[in-house]
Amino acid sequence: MAAFKYVGLSPPCPDAFAKASGELRYATDLRLAGMSYACLLTSPHAHARIDSIDARRALQVSGVIGVYSHEDAPATRYCRYRIVPGQAGCVDDESLFAVTARFVGDRIAAVVATSPQAAREGVRRIEVGYTPLPAVLSAETALEPDAAHIHAGGNLLHRFDHATGDAPVAPADAVRTCTRVSTQMLHHAAIEPHTCLANFDASGRLTVWSPCQSVYGARTVVADLLGLAYNKVRIVKVPMGGSFGGKQEFILEPVTAYLAMRTGRPVCLTLDREACIRSTMVRAQQRSDVRSTVGADGLILDLEVDTLLAAGAYASSSPDYSEAMAHKLTRLYRVGRYHHRGRVAYTNTPVAGGMRGWGAPDIATCAEIHLDQVASRLGLDPLEIRLRNLVHPGDIDPLTGHSVGEAWVRRCLARGAEAFGWRERVGLPAGTGRIRRAVGLACGAHKNGIFSDAFPEATTMTLKMNEDGSLDLNASIHEVGAGSAVTLQTIIAEELDVAPQMISTREADSESTPYDFGCFGSRLTYFCGAAARALAAKMRARLIEAAAELLAVASENLCAAGGRVVPLGGGDSGLSYAQIVQAARMRYARDMIVTHTHRGTSNPGSYCVQFAEVEVDVLTGLVRVNEVLTVVDIGRAINRQMVEGQCRGAIQSGIGSALCEEVTIDGAGRTGAGGFKNYHLINAADMPPVRVLLVEHDGDEGPYGAKSVGEIAVVPTAATIVNAVNRALGTRLATLPLTPDRILAALGDRAPSGSREPACG
Amino acid sequence: MRLNCIINGAAVSVDIDADARLIDVLRDALALTGTKEGCAEGECGACTVLIDGLAVNSCLVLAAQVEGRSLLTIEGLASGDGANALQRNFIERGAIQCGFCTPGMLMSATALLMRVQQPSREEIRRALAGNLCRCTGYEPIIEAVAAAADEMAGPA
Ligand code: FES
Ligand code: FES
Repeated sequence: MAAFKYVGLSPPCPDAFAKASGELRYATDLRLAGMSYACLLTSPHAHARIDSIDARRALQVSGVIGVYSHEDAPATRYCRYRIVPGQAGCVDDESLFAVTARFVGDRIAAVVATSPQAAREGVRRIEVGYTPLPAVLSAETALEPDAAHIHAGGNLLHRFDHATGDAPVAPADAVRTCTRVSTQMLHHAAIEPHTCLANFDASGRLTVWSPCQSVYGARTVVADLLGLAYNKVRIVKVPMGGSFGGKQEFILEPVTAYLAMRTGRPVCLTLDREACIRSTMVRAQQRSDVRSTVGADGLILDLEVDTLLAAGAYASSSPDYSEAMAHKLTRLYRVGRYHHRGRVAYTNTPVAGGMRGWGAPDIATCAEIHLDQVASRLGLDPLEIRLRNLVHPGDIDPLTGHSVGEAWVRRCLARGAEAFGWRERVGLPAGTGRIRRAVGLACGAHKNGIFSDAFPEATTMTLKMNEDGSLDLNASIHEVGAGSAVTLQTIIAEELDVAPQMISTREADSESTPYDFGCFGSRLTYFCGAAARALAAKMRARLIEAAAELLAVASENLCAAGGRVVPLGGGDSGLSYAQIVQAARMRYARDMIVTHTHRGTSNPGSYCVQFAEVEVDVLTGLVRVNEVLTVVDIGRAINRQMVEGQCRGAIQSGIGSALCEEVTIDGAGRTGAGGFKNYHLINAADMPPVRVLLVEHDGDEGPYGAKSVGEIAVVPTAATIVNAVNRALGTRLATLPLTPDRILAALGDRAPSGSREPACG
Repeated sequence: MRLNCIINGAAVSVDIDADARLIDVLRDALALTGTKEGCAEGECGACTVLIDGLAVNSCLVLAAQVEGRSLLTIEGLASGDGANALQRNFIERGAIQCGFCTPGMLMSATALLMRVQQPSREEIRRALAGNLCRCTGYEPIIEAVAAAADEMAGPA
């Protein structure tokens, strides 16, 4: 392993003190001169025609500036998820304000006022005439022949059918197993509520301040919708109080921009927690039937998945999200034949969209719960069945034809099993008393960036060195709180051998930072990190070249070290970076500035394996997680503390999705969760101790071997917990979350079949 | 009506509506935006401030209720220009990611350390149970509080 000077250390984020002192200004903390406040009126009906909107009483409220609805707003439809114009897979089905209400929480109208109170009062006074329409609340009912159509064209939004390989002839002792696994709607639960600010100035220029994940994506959606030239629309990424994918899509930007244009005033729109849960987006509810044929030796001969996913009222990213689910298992396991069918249906429920892991946790939950059932039927250790099937480094993913790269998932499993004491613990009896205890494990795969045959991977960055040797990185960084800035600083510091604090970074601003797709798709460290490394190498070459001229020596005889360019053999006759910058400018009128456009050509697998021990109280149905071990195939930890932080936060979220988090819908389509009161997050008291193991190695195109972590870290968690609970209870629970009710119901029904879970369709 | 109280050691006098929430007065009238609002229902703890040394959710308190009381907000935590022991340990131990829960966490931890000099891990967990964090998994926060407590207690 190469020795590093900065890579692998844990310097804090540059804005850590600003966060710790309350000085950092998030979107909700920004105050623009003359700022007005918007409040949204949302639909109380799951599906209804809007017959009339009477704003007269709202307009009488003192401070109300205007009331806006479909009656005056452009009817143009757009896709909130689109990043580039004309993007495949994007369906333009959403408008600024609904003409037909399609879910409880759909945007009907907005009031802009001089105070938030006046805006809220205005909303209360708008009178809307609705004619309720039949509501379709699940994907199953949405696809029934007589179901009400949510959009013209019917409820089947997307379908796919991907198959690869031929199943070998199954020996007589092979077992065929089917499991139906259902995962629930989840709230991203960033503690910062959704907020956006916009201003349309007298020169006809629109500025939007948003804690978003893609300023350029937001720009194309907002500009196209409002009919503005792209250079008249400026999107500024402001500090973000968490996203987890919930702020990836452009939910508030279009409507806030529109309101600023209409009123000619700066407008701030902030959603309350209830609206964040109901009216932004959720992780999709989906169910998958997983069928496999597995030989007595544990080899997976055939794996078939049939997924049905509820998109909610608008398409958003659901078509792509469902496709993502189909592209994970063949980079995790070697299977004889893989066949994945999927259907995505519109439903009159909250809009589903991307969330941390983007399909990977969803499918891993299904497959890994299934695999434990198969192992149990074969009498195999769950560890063993996985070891027999996991991919090896350099395998080709048969579905894409691309390499899984340095895929060290087998090493993760082996190291984790050792550290956890799996082999000793797996056979321990669960007990027969009130408290049952057992261990569980699961594996997961994800990706590194957005390179594929269908989508390019590229970014542009500029690095400038100042007269004192300090550096300014100009790149479209979208810090989500995970350490993007410090990661890029560290990589550049390593390449140029300067302290990371010498490098300033800034956040994305479509007016002044170079083009980048955005911070999603697990592309920051692996891909943007590689871009930063190449950029720094260019700067180094430029410094050496200038020094060579200044010193009148051949550049091959010079190298960069310790913030200087020095002769290869050592000696102190070199020049400091500061001297080079100054002299190059004065003598050759040359600036030390480099720009680099980086292109990605690979997308290896990211891997994570987790182990947990749980205790289940069979009287109350409550589950306590005693301990979690997570092992990540990180390649290289650029900032060890940030990597571990991603792992720990992911487990908080994953345990919640296994046990308690759920956005529920009643028979009228209303979400049960009014706020955090009814949407339980794992808190400090519930949280088990977590151990993090990192498997490091060189290879792939990431900087120093680094791969992604933020998303993969959550992929196996829910399955790990569910597998442990099922082992503790002898159940086959597969409908998430495992609430006390579900657990008690399964226990009541245990004899003789051991499961209440619905059979495969 | 007029509200008189002490905030971060300074006497404050400000006009408020009788039904104004404390969080709004802090953030809007006094521009102390370090106190965050995450839920407005007493569930997330992002809005935690100290009233006479006790941690409260400022989204659930009427500003009028703090008449004559002494408040500490996140803006009053740093000593001079630098981080105090708690803040420094948060920064150094990875207790801060997106930072939105951080002010509330720091205030709850401050209240705890004012009550208990060297709390156990369990006491820290319980004291922070009303502060939600979606980023860190809590452990670095708990470690930071424990380390700050050790530091403040000095060498044994
Ligand atoms: S905002 Fe006060 S507890 Fe959440
Ligand atoms: S650091 Fe983001 S919520 Fe705690």
